[in-house]
Parts: sequence; structure tokens; C-alpha cells
Amino acid sequence: MLELNPILVKDLRSRMRGARAYILITIYLLILAGVALLLYAAIAQDIGNDLNAGRRIGQALFFTIATVALIEVCLITPVLTSGSIAGEKERQTYDLLVASLLTPWQIVWGKLVSALAFALLLIVAIVPVMSLAFLFGGVGLTEVLIAIAGLVVTAVLYATIGLFWSAMLQSSLGATSFAIGTVIALLLGIPFLIVIFTLILGSSAPSDLLESIWFIYLSRFVVALHPFIALGATASQLSSGSGPFFEVVRTSTTNVVVPSPWVLYTIFSLIAVALLLAASARLVQPVQSGADRQKRAGKER
Amino acid sequence: MTPLVETQNLTRRYGSNLALDHLNLAIPEGAIFGFIGPNGAGKTTTMRILTTLLSPTSGEARVAGISVTSEPRAVRRLVGFMPDFFGVYDNMKSWEYLDFFGRSYGIPAQRRQQLIGELLELVDLGHKRDAPVMSLSRGMKQRLSLARAMMHDPRLLILDEPASGLDPRARIELRELLKELRAMGKTIMISSHILTELAEMCTHIGIIERGKLLAAGEVQEILRTMRPHRIVEIRVVAGAARAEEILRTHADVLELRREGARAESEGDAAPLDDETGPHTLLADFAGDEHALGDMLAMLIAEGVRVSHFAEQSGDLEDIFLHVTKGIV
Repeated sequence: MLELNPILVKDLRSRMRGARAYILITIYLLILAGVALLLYAAIAQDIGNDLNAGRRIGQALFFTIATVALIEVCLITPVLTSGSIAGEKERQTYDLLVASLLTPWQIVWGKLVSALAFALLLIVAIVPVMSLAFLFGGVGLTEVLIAIAGLVVTAVLYATIGLFWSAMLQSSLGATSFAIGTVIALLLGIPFLIVIFTLILGSSAPSDLLESIWFIYLSRFVVALHPFIALGATASQLSSGSGPFFEVVRTSTTNVVVPSPWVLYTIFSLIAVALLLAASARLVQPVQSGADRQKRAGKER
Repeated sequence: MTPLVETQNLTRRYGSNLALDHLNLAIPEGAIFGFIGPNGAGKTTTMRILTTLLSPTSGEARVAGISVTSEPRAVRRLVGFMPDFFGVYDNMKSWEYLDFFGRSYGIPAQRRQQLIGELLELVDLGHKRDAPVMSLSRGMKQRLSLARAMMHDPRLLILDEPASGLDPRARIELRELLKELRAMGKTIMISSHILTELAEMCTHIGIIERGKLLAAGEVQEILRTMRPHRIVEIRVVAGAARAEEILRTHADVLELRREGARAESEGDAAPLDDETGPHTLLADFAGDEHALGDMLAMLIAEGVRVSHFAEQSGDLEDIFLHVTKGIV
């Protein structure tokens, strides 16, 4: 009989044992529900007898819950994985793992999937809260599915970033700091670059440049590197009547078909995940040749 | 005996620091091999290479004829490793700890469950099956760690300082356990600073300093060949004064002491009186077996009545201090 990955079994056992996991889920859902409640109270006060009130409340609830959930996923998932391999080094169980018959891929994969299983539990847990939006209308199934896909892809990407730093560094604290640092750099750095780029181009940018195919693709690619911008742009396109997978950009000369931002974001994320996983597995090779390992082995000797 | 572990010119550098210098080692199958050396001598480096955790800079290491560098996975099947620290997992029970490593070595579920019970009994932790690992005493953790190293039934057990930090009872239990493992046919490579214990349980020893193997072989052989001299214990019932006189002038006797007396006051002491005897003399003897026999014959011929004439059992600490220079 095919057995589950040993690391996955061990980590899930450890993670779900005790009150820690349940407390985290409870806090996570309380924040979401609290935000939803406050938002509803604020919008209901403001809208009065508008005929589209339900629709507006539904949309506001949905986008707010999706955004809060995305923020939480961005912050929680790298922390879930950043202590995984570094934690083995700190507990001095790392050598026992790499001296066993587990392959580096099994170790990396087991660590990722066990963290993701918990992250997916968090994502699944928000579905009932998110579904509140359906009571009010204004939100379609496509939006909900794309939001969930975006959350899942973000969870996988950011968990892999945490895992990479965990394989690279010796301490959980260092790995967590670098993982959170990377996430902050991505989340703040990309919008910063977009703003700088926009300011440089300004209103004086020639229309030839703005309508060139490479510029259209490049701008969409940059937008697609950021989960909030990519998913926000997708929502905006859906509300303006575009399809869920492609966007048609009309220039003065031609129409350019570009994949929807969430599709590009998913593709980029999966490529980054593959590269980071390969790098992590390489760092977990049992035969040590890196400077860190030399230093460590020299100390132990 | 065929060597299970063989290293040929095994060398490992850490930058400019030479940790292992052309180490040539052979550990016969079924032996308990004590690896002795000062801190930083290269013991852990050797053990880490043999467990495939570290690659050598040059040279070759083989376990059962399999190269640790070209076929590390095959070597890992043959080697059980117990490092000098006990890695602890939070929220894990003793059986789960073994179950995890059993899975990691690909042991089928049914066999694993049976094996966990057997190994917990072997290390006398059957009653702690459902106890959290964190709650075990240090000695129990060491025994659990040994059970973990045994999960995949390895031919070679590599134990790095297994007795460090253990109380006397836990040490004795560990020693008995190792003897039991040897009886099961396991080859055991063990490093320790407690040399008296190693002398008692090891069949072979290797002494390493600054990455060089200074001596290796069977314990008794090493004790016989490496000691600067042998100490002969002679118990004299009658003729003690005459015996002392003969021994003091014997060419192979380097030094003669009365048991319990300080060597430097020996010369001024009054002749031994048989009335207060029997007396025990300790002679540092530099001669070979034949010369030892001749000395006994001489004593008897001179009318000395000897009730006990024996070479003192070797002390590994003496050998260690004699062979090593204390340089790291």
C-alpha cells in the first residue's frame, strides 16, 4: 500500500495536536467576521433606501473579506513554512532526516504540503464568511472562484518563499525574518516600482509607446506579479464585462488579447514555486559542501 | 574478520584546517570499535562521513564494500546513526517518534508496528510507549534514540558520544544494551571520553589525534603493544625482603613499589618483614614474556614464596595519554 509522505504525517500530527491550531483559526475567523460586521454596519448606515443597496453591500463585503483573507494568507503562510526545515536544524533532528532514506524532494515536499494543508484549512474556513455576500447579491460565482484560486496560489507561493529561507538558514527566527522581509518587499516594492515608473513616464509618454504590444504585455506582466493588484485588476475587468481568462486591450490601430491578470499571476507564481522548490531541495542535499555546513561541521568536530 | 568499515587515505579539510589526514581505518564485522581522541581530533568528522552527512575532500570510505560518496543511499540502509545530541520533536509520543523514522526508512506499516513494540522492549521503554518524548529522562531519550537507529535493522551502528551527560545508572544500562546489540551481530562504532567504559565493552579501539590515526586494533593487542611497560603485581608470602632486593637489581625492572607506598619514599623504607606480610610489590617491567618467566623462576629459586604473580590489566587511559600529545 502506498504510504503518505512521513514528514507530512509527522508535521500534521504535531501541528494539529493541542490548542494552538484551533486558536489560530479562531483568531483568523474572528478578524474576518469582525471586519465583515463593521463594514456591513458602516455601509448599511450610509446607503439608506438605495434600490441597489443589497448589491453594493454584497460587493463591498466580498471584496473586503477577500482582501483581508489575502492579507492574512500573505502573512501567515510564510511563517508556517519558515520554521519547518530551520526548526529541524534547531531541534538537531535535521541530520537524522537527511541520513535516513528520505530524499531531499520528500523532505521539501512533505514540509510544504503539511504547511499548505493548514493554509488551505484557513482558506476553506473563510468560504462561509465569504458566502455572506451571496445573500446580498452583486457577486457572481466566477468572482468567488477566482478569489479562492488567487488565495490558494498566493498561499502556495508565499509558503514556498518561507520554505526556501528555511532551507537556506540555520535558525527559525532568521528564516522567518527573511521570509516576511521578502513578502513585504514584494507587496510594497512592486507598487512602488509601478508608481515610480508611472511618474517617470508621466503624461508626456508618447502614445506609440503606450500602445505598443510589448508595453501592453510588459505592463500586464508587472501588474501580475502582485496578488492584490492582479486580483483587483481582474475584479475590475470582470465588472466591466471582460471574460475571466482574457482581456482585450483596444489600441487606436488594433486589439491586443492579453491573458487576464489572475491567469498571469498564477503562471508566474507556479514558475516561481517550481524554482524555489528546486533550490530548497538542492539546499537539503545530505552531502554538505556549502560554507554554512562546513562551518557547522567544523564547530561540531 | 572481514572489515565492515574501511577508509583509505580519508582526508577532510575545512578551509585551511585539516580535520582528517589520510585516515586508514578498518573495523571488522561484529566488533565494538571504540573511537578515542581529544576534542577536535576528527572523530565526529569520520562518523559524519561514514553516515553520508559529509563528503570527504579526498580518499575513500566504504561500508560493506559500498562507497559512501558514490552510493550514499545504499550506505544509509546499512548504517544506523546516533549523534551526540538527542533531537526532540514537540508533541510526539515515543511510538510516534519510532514510527516516523520507520516510515522514513520505508518500513511497511505492519512490520513497523511490530518492530516498534520489539525495539521499545529491547531498550526497556515498553512502558513508555505512549509517553511524550519530551517527558523522558536523558537516559531514556538516549535509549529511544538507539531504538530509532535500529529501526531499519542496520549492520553498522555509529554512536557519537552516547554516554555523555548520562548518570552512572543510565551509563550502565546503555553499556548492557550495547553488549546485547553486539550479541545480535551488530557492528558498533562508538566514540566516548569515558575510556574505562570503552576498555570494558570494546573489542577494538582506534586512537585519533589531529586527524591522524595513531593506533588501531584489538583492545588487548593495543594494550600490550602500546603501553610503555607492563606492571607486574607480585604477592610475597615469605622472603619479601629478598624479593625486593632481587627485583631492585633486575635489569628489566624499571621501578619497584610496595603497594600503597609512594615511589619516592621507597628507597628509605626499612626492609620488608615477613611477619607483617604478605606484601604486594608492583614492578614496572620492560622485558618480554620470556624475561617475565625468567624473573619468576629467579624469585622461586632464591626461596621467595610467591602466592600471586600477574600482569595488571591494562588501563586505556595510560595508553591514551601515552599515545596522544594533547594537541588539537
